[in-house]
Amino acid sequence: MSESPLLRFDQVGIHLGGREILSPTSFEVARGEFVCIIGPSGCGKTTLLRAAAGFLQPSGGAALRHGKPITGPSREVAFVFQDYGRALLPWRTVAGNISLALEAAGVPAQQRPDRIAKVLDTVGLGAHATKFPAQLSGGMQQRVQIARCLAQEPELMMMDEPFGALDAMTGESLQDEVSRLVRSTGLTVLFVTHDLEEAIYLSDRVIALRANPTADKPSLAAMVEVKIARPRDQLLTKEHPEFLRLRRELYGFLGHH
Amino acid sequence: MSSAVLQNGTRIRATTESVAVLVCLLALWWLASHLQWVSKVFLPTPEATLESLVQGLSTGELAGFTWDTVVRMLLGWLLASAIGTALGALIGASATARTWIAPTLEFLRPLPASAVMPLAISLFGLSGGMVLSVVAFGAMWPVLLATVHGLASVHVRLREVATALQLSRTAFVFKIGLPNALPDILAGMRLSMTVSLIVAVVGEMIASQSGLGQAILLAARSFRASELFAGIVLLGAIGFVSNALLALLEHQFLKWQRTG
Amino acid sequence: MRTWPTLLRPWVFPLLLLALLEAAARWLVPGSDALAPPSQALQAFGKALSASGDESVLQATAFTLSSAALGLLLGAALGVTLGLVLGLSRRAAAMGFLSIEVLRPVPSVALIPLAMLVFGFGYRMEISVVAFATFWPLLILTQAAARQVEPQLLEVAHALGLSAWARTTQIVLPAMVPRLFIALRLGVSFALVVAVTVEIAANPSGMGYAMMIAQQSLAPDLMLAWLAWIGLVGFAINALTLRLQRAIAHRMGEPHTGVAP
Repeated sequence: MSESPLLRFDQVGIHLGGREILSPTSFEVARGEFVCIIGPSGCGKTTLLRAAAGFLQPSGGAALRHGKPITGPSREVAFVFQDYGRALLPWRTVAGNISLALEAAGVPAQQRPDRIAKVLDTVGLGAHATKFPAQLSGGMQQRVQIARCLAQEPELMMMDEPFGALDAMTGESLQDEVSRLVRSTGLTVLFVTHDLEEAIYLSDRVIALRANPTADKPSLAAMVEVKIARPRDQLLTKEHPEFLRLRRELYGFLGHH
Repeated sequence: MSSAVLQNGTRIRATTESVAVLVCLLALWWLASHLQWVSKVFLPTPEATLESLVQGLSTGELAGFTWDTVVRMLLGWLLASAIGTALGALIGASATARTWIAPTLEFLRPLPASAVMPLAISLFGLSGGMVLSVVAFGAMWPVLLATVHGLASVHVRLREVATALQLSRTAFVFKIGLPNALPDILAGMRLSMTVSLIVAVVGEMIASQSGLGQAILLAARSFRASELFAGIVLLGAIGFVSNALLALLEHQFLKWQRTG
Repeated sequence: MRTWPTLLRPWVFPLLLLALLEAAARWLVPGSDALAPPSQALQAFGKALSASGDESVLQATAFTLSSAALGLLLGAALGVTLGLVLGLSRRAAAMGFLSIEVLRPVPSVALIPLAMLVFGFGYRMEISVVAFATFWPLLILTQAAARQVEPQLLEVAHALGLSAWARTTQIVLPAMVPRLFIALRLGVSFALVVAVTVEIAANPSGMGYAMMIAQQSLAPDLMLAWLAWIGLVGFAINALTLRLQRAIAHRMGEPHTGVAP
């Protein structure tokens, strides 16, 4: 049973500021897949994510969602930014911030409290609905952002190094939470990270990009399936032989030449 | 526990010393006027000033003038805040508008608010309406400029969130732009109030409109120093109270800035 | 690299407004006492420039600028000195707190009749009002500047065993200079505004008065010309002082933020 891919990049190239950030790259993402994009800094992974979200147009090739060209952002595509502090409204409470997504979608006022409560419970912030972002820890703020994205009821969630600004322990617990969420909602996720272990741990497939693409060394360096069973565990999975093998295979693509 | 007592002790000492300095200044005033270091024509005694104050307020005359000035100041300030925020939102909401209009705003910024008074006199004559229009026009600029700045300073991340959520431009202005600008707008409104008082007083002086401005001008012309000083005291009181009230309001509205 | 379009862009909007005013004053309300076409205003100003005596442009501008400058000198001298004392001594600041809070809210325009009473019309009256008006912001800003000297610099002074005098002159004052110049720049702009306001309200000299006279003589072209001239002079002076402030900041090693407070 082949379903048309949710997202398809067909020889998408991106030029910014006179430089070629991304050489013509092709790949597909199927519904329900968790795909991680890794690479050294400057390889264009954030740029690729933004193009997929509709924030910028490719300079060449076509970026398609459900077979149709992506012309701009859409409510079907949620975006989680790395700097959560800047992405939340400091003058609104946690509930108020979630409400923003519902207001933007035109959800009637009576329906909002229930949906806000539900999505807050999903990320475990039910008790903090009336707090302001400044009163929360970094991990909790990022959860608020994720909750706001979930409130959009998107089909596709883009995440741009969402745990990069958090300490390792908070990052790991959020990794597991996101994995759990994605499994229960069936969301499709495109996740950018510079952390190789995080990428393998979370994803069904890892895409590795190169910086400074040339004709014989294009942006797309490797695309590898992660065939490790779910649910995964922070300790056990990271000792799994397949995990270690993938780690060895992909290590070189992070720019450690 | 003892450190708290120590802190309280220091605070009590600071307050007492502060009051003492003020009392010393008052004593200096008393001496200067009684010993005629400065002629009584220019410097009335503190008691004479107090007497003029009490008399003026009890007969209702000074109270009436104070009321007139306060109403003029407040009305002008309200108009200025409303128009300033609205215009500022219109200009600030569009990056294109900002690029084309901002340089002109910067040029107009250093102009004295009272400078349009002659133009207003030509248009409206010497009337209360003329003064009010100049007050509103002059006091509008701090709020307008603050609103434009506040809207322009919305962080790019929030703009991207708005784009991702597909917020309409109006929704962006009301849900993100203006709240972001609120601290700036409130500060602008405080400045506006100072400008309002000044222009109201100048307007009363020029256009002979009933109020403290006219009252102190007439007092000076008739060499009634104690009445002049009483009027100055009242104007200082208006400035003090209006600023204190606005500071309180600002404190209330910006509670979220101090959490965490 | 500023291209032609970028250099010309700030002028488009104001030129548009001027063109609108020209059209409205010429064809909508010709012969109005209030609105005059900018072209006529330019002509009237040209005539005034060549005039001499009390009504000459040079005289009036010089009057306003000099009284603003002298008033600022007086206000700044007092304000900076007191600000230094209050900034460097917590105790002095606490002692002066109440008196400052009581005297500061008095609007400077309230002193115009008093200054008139004491000095009559002319220079001294305007200088005294400008001095009073500029005293307060300079006091507050200097106090803040003194307080904001990097505490580490003060620790260095202490470690080097510098006397209070040496500490003040060698460390505190130089560290304050950039902020002091910001305060002075704001003071210059404020002094000009107050000076013009005094002339509009009472003093029969200077640019503000010239504008009032133009209005009273039902000469809207001259009135508009004076308004524009006042704006221009203010803008030019502010731009000059901003350059000076930036040059000082650069000389004193402050990073160039490019943001005017």
